[in-house]
Amino acid sequence: MIDILSTPILITVILGVVGLAIPVIDAGKRERGANRNKLFSGISLGAIILAICLILFRIFSGEISGSVVFSKDVLSDDLFGSFFAIALLIVSAMVAASSWNYMKSRSNPAAYYSLILLSSIGMVLIAYSTDLVMLLVSWELMSIPTYALAAFAKRDPVSNEAAIKYFMFGALSSALLVFAIGLVYGIAGTTNIGDAIHAMSSLKPDLVPIGLLAVGLFIAGFGFKMGLVPFHMWLPDAYEGSPTTIGALLAAGTKKAGFAAALRVIVLGMFVLNVDWTFALAVIAVFTMTFGNLGALVQKSVPRILAYSSIAQAGYIMIGFALAPYSDQALTGSLFHIINHAVMKSAGFIAAAAVASVFASYSLEKYKGLGRRMPITAIAFSISLLALAGVPPLNGFWSKLVLFGAAINSGSHVAWGPWLAIAGVLNSALSLGYYAWIIRKMYLEEAPDMTKVKEPRAIVAVLVFAIVFMVGFGVWYGPLLNFASHAVPDLATLPLPVHR
Amino acid sequence: MVSAGAVGFEGIAINVWLIWIIPFVGAAIMPAVARAGRRVLNYAAVGFALASAIAAASLISFGLSGSEVHSQVSWISALNLKAGILADPLAIIMTNLVGWISFLIMVYSTGYMHGDRDLTRYWFFMLFFIGSMQLIVLSDNLLMVFFGWEGVGFASYALIGFWYHDKKKDYVGVEGHKAAGVSLWVSPTHAGMKAFLQTRAGDIMMLSGMFLIFAYAGTFGFKELIGDQSWAQQMAKQNLLVPAAVLLFGGAIGKSAQFPLNEWLLEAMTGPTPVSALIHAATMVKAGVFLVARIGPLFFALAAFNMTQFFEVVAWVGAITSFLLASQALATPEIKKVLAYSTGSQIGYMMMALGIAGLSSHFVDGYTAGFFHLISHAMFKASLFMGAGALLHTVGSRFMTDMGGLRKHMKKTYIFMLLASLSLAGAPLVTSGFWSKDAIFAAVLESGYSYSWALFAMATIVAVMTAFYTFRMIGMSFFGKESRHIEEMEKGGHHLHEVSANMWVPFAILAVGTIAIGVVGFIFEAQIHQLFSAYLGQYFGIHQPGQESAQPSVAPQGNRTFFNLNPIAAAASVGAFGVGGGLGYVFYIARKADPAIVSRNIITRGIWKFLYNRWYLNSALYWGSVIAPITAYRFVWKYFESAFVDGINPAFQYSMVYMSRAVKGAQTGITQTYLFVFGVGIMIVVMLLFL
Repeated sequence: MIDILSTPILITVILGVVGLAIPVIDAGKRERGANRNKLFSGISLGAIILAICLILFRIFSGEISGSVVFSKDVLSDDLFGSFFAIALLIVSAMVAASSWNYMKSRSNPAAYYSLILLSSIGMVLIAYSTDLVMLLVSWELMSIPTYALAAFAKRDPVSNEAAIKYFMFGALSSALLVFAIGLVYGIAGTTNIGDAIHAMSSLKPDLVPIGLLAVGLFIAGFGFKMGLVPFHMWLPDAYEGSPTTIGALLAAGTKKAGFAAALRVIVLGMFVLNVDWTFALAVIAVFTMTFGNLGALVQKSVPRILAYSSIAQAGYIMIGFALAPYSDQALTGSLFHIINHAVMKSAGFIAAAAVASVFASYSLEKYKGLGRRMPITAIAFSISLLALAGVPPLNGFWSKLVLFGAAINSGSHVAWGPWLAIAGVLNSALSLGYYAWIIRKMYLEEAPDMTKVKEPRAIVAVLVFAIVFMVGFGVWYGPLLNFASHAVPDLATLPLPVHR
Repeated sequence: MVSAGAVGFEGIAINVWLIWIIPFVGAAIMPAVARAGRRVLNYAAVGFALASAIAAASLISFGLSGSEVHSQVSWISALNLKAGILADPLAIIMTNLVGWISFLIMVYSTGYMHGDRDLTRYWFFMLFFIGSMQLIVLSDNLLMVFFGWEGVGFASYALIGFWYHDKKKDYVGVEGHKAAGVSLWVSPTHAGMKAFLQTRAGDIMMLSGMFLIFAYAGTFGFKELIGDQSWAQQMAKQNLLVPAAVLLFGGAIGKSAQFPLNEWLLEAMTGPTPVSALIHAATMVKAGVFLVARIGPLFFALAAFNMTQFFEVVAWVGAITSFLLASQALATPEIKKVLAYSTGSQIGYMMMALGIAGLSSHFVDGYTAGFFHLISHAMFKASLFMGAGALLHTVGSRFMTDMGGLRKHMKKTYIFMLLASLSLAGAPLVTSGFWSKDAIFAAVLESGYSYSWALFAMATIVAVMTAFYTFRMIGMSFFGKESRHIEEMEKGGHHLHEVSANMWVPFAILAVGTIAIGVVGFIFEAQIHQLFSAYLGQYFGIHQPGQESAQPSVAPQGNRTFFNLNPIAAAASVGAFGVGGGLGYVFYIARKADPAIVSRNIITRGIWKFLYNRWYLNSALYWGSVIAPITAYRFVWKYFESAFVDGINPAFQYSMVYMSRAVKGAQTGITQTYLFVFGVGIMIVVMLLFL
């Protein structure tokens, strides 16, 4: 039995109640217009911040145990889940707050915020899940609202196309996940992740291929959300076509939930399988970052550039996954980069949302002279791009440093380890090709019209928060790194096979 | 032995600390004082200089009794470094010299800089300069010396380029004058930069030398270095001792403008004249000599390790510089540059003396001679510079050809400059310059160094040239007809007048002082000699031959007779004054012969041109260290950077764009394709796992 007062349950209650209450309030209110949007934005933001505070409070009061990762229940109230929950809820909060402006003249705000909150519940629960069925349910709870959100601009064919593609791939990946879970249940006789891993460690040799197949399917199923090559094709279309704030939610939020799930299931699961699976992940990592960066290089639409960039960033994070058995720092680096990327990428998308809400265009050409026209947006965007590129002293630099450092340290175990660092560094250099390009557009080129534009206030507030986060944790990265390293699952608790 | 080995800031030690701290404090509060008005600012600046000088004076009795003040406080405890001051007789004499001459120059500045817009900046850097110099003098370790060293360099850079608007009148050199394609007509900012960079070359050598010694000794302290000499043993074993010493001397070469780093000194004349007086008389260029005087005895005391080569380098660098710059002074038309050349040349004398000291068994003789010359030069050169500044102030031109006949208009300046000039030229018996120069000659002659005759010959020729250019300077500016420039000024209703009292009194004091010392020259010299032989014997264990007991006595040695004079040295000295001064008198004062005869003969004209173009050394320096490297970099830029690197870059760029387009092309937007790739992807991943 799970404790009814455990963190995931409390978050579910808070967000669920508010998420369901919003449509009810909407139905009860007569007047229509912008005020409702503001009201719902405020309520959702409040609920999410309350949830974040709750987690933080529980961490600091010591009620959350260290990373246990496994439990007999379907959810475990551990630091690993809390880490992801905080990262994901920060994204949700940023999205909810910036929608204050973005959704101003759009219809159906109640459904919009309600769906965001429900999706957030799904993301949080994924992070806390310790049972495959629970994981699948949470997965769907996270995904289904986002299908609707992606199609939210219902008269916009691009949005509809994006949503359809997204949905088709989502359905496919869910099917693969169910299949994989079925295989695991078949060979292990349980859906509890811990028990399943335990059972797989003593698998009969003739059943190992089935276990591997299950892992492969998990990779594909979660890889779809994580945006790994070759499961990434839908991603640029979907991120670009969705409302830009939802792009932020997809790129920074749901994607990270995919990593949480992958970490629990794939990496931990594969520790016990007697295969050289790390190389497969390393190949995926290199391809992912390279394809992402190459794809972004010649794009003309900013959300699309950000979409490709998020593919590339997934590649960097995968470095840590691939090297998990070889270096203590690898998973720490991944987690550190996940929380950094959540903020950096949301900031990027939200800045793009600000531009889109003012100029009604995503084109890079519209960013000319932005440094003078929308100074705060431009500076926040520049900082987030530089942080994504890993320029010191921003937070993105430190997480990349930990990741690449882990890759170099792993050289004593696997010969190809350092090559991941080299690939990462080269890719970072390549990525500056488009990051710096945008900054150049904003500051060095002039638009025909250079008048100053009023910047959306809520978005400015969100961006200022993001700047403080990126610069603050860039200069003083200690606490965040510490948090990440504490949230890494303790591999010593795994039932490891003889061979490793 | 009376030693006030005070630890910390107690007793007399506090005065020593204050000597260099006061000017720094003064500099720091100058901007604030400036708000109270210019008068207050002037008084405050001079007041700080005076306070520092008085603090220095409080040590005189201490110094004369041969005792020392050594006080340390912990500084960088991790490296066991201590900050400390060391006021031994050498430092006490030097600090008083610096303090009081600086004070006089500060007084003079109140007149000279009257009405300048940037007075605050001026006072700031002057006080900073004085503080840094006193830091060099009073530090008890090389590291703090280096701090002061850099402070002096920085302040001199700022002061040489003080008039950074680069107006034509602030340039130095003849307009359009080029030698071998390099302009010798230089702007203040350029001159400041040049001084900074050239002295930097020396500083780097000094730094390397310092740290080389530190690497073996583990300390920068002078007392510690002399106390435990095992470091020298180790370095000598590795053949590193002489190189380290020569590297340290490299710093002195840069700061004292010795060959081959002498070129910055001449352009340094772009600064306000009091700055030139400060740089050339009391502080910056003396820092190098002082450093050699500081470390010289140390290395001599390590005689067991054969430091001859080091002292040879010092002596020859000094002799060459002295000859080089004296010869160039013959041909320059600018009054301040005559003095600048002369400074470099006289410092060459000092270096030669200090070098010869180490080469002879009578270390004290050369040492005393060098330091005596430093004292007398500081006085008469400061006086001459301030006098020249008075001329510039009145005439409004730096060229001697624009002066002439000024003795009627500026009587006081004339008299006192003449006195100081006589000292520079070495007028026998009554000037300090004569005695100190004579002491150097004697030291060279009596050294027993195998090439001392060559050094002596050079020194004598230099003395002839010195007397000549000194008379030339006096003659051109004060005698003869008034120049066209002055006639025009008078026609324009401009009345030529004597400078105000706060300007002429300072240089009058120094000019009279140099004569006063000259009159009692032999006593003065004996006193210094005694003081130093006691000092060197007591602290470095250096004794005169035949005087092994630590019983410092006056008794000078050698075959000296009348007034302790060495007859050959005295004859050479007097003869040089007679020949050089006589020629100068004939050409420029009596005007019996026309200097234009030089240009009638192709050989003499060639020599003149060679000297006028500064031996082409400046041109060589620029070609070698500025133009050639820049040309090389241009070459690299043209054939490597822009052809090779810029050739590769687009290739890289286009290949990336090409690949990017390929990725973009795969992104067809058709869902079936996507699904197909997805399916293939699953297969590949599973296969990878099964590998």
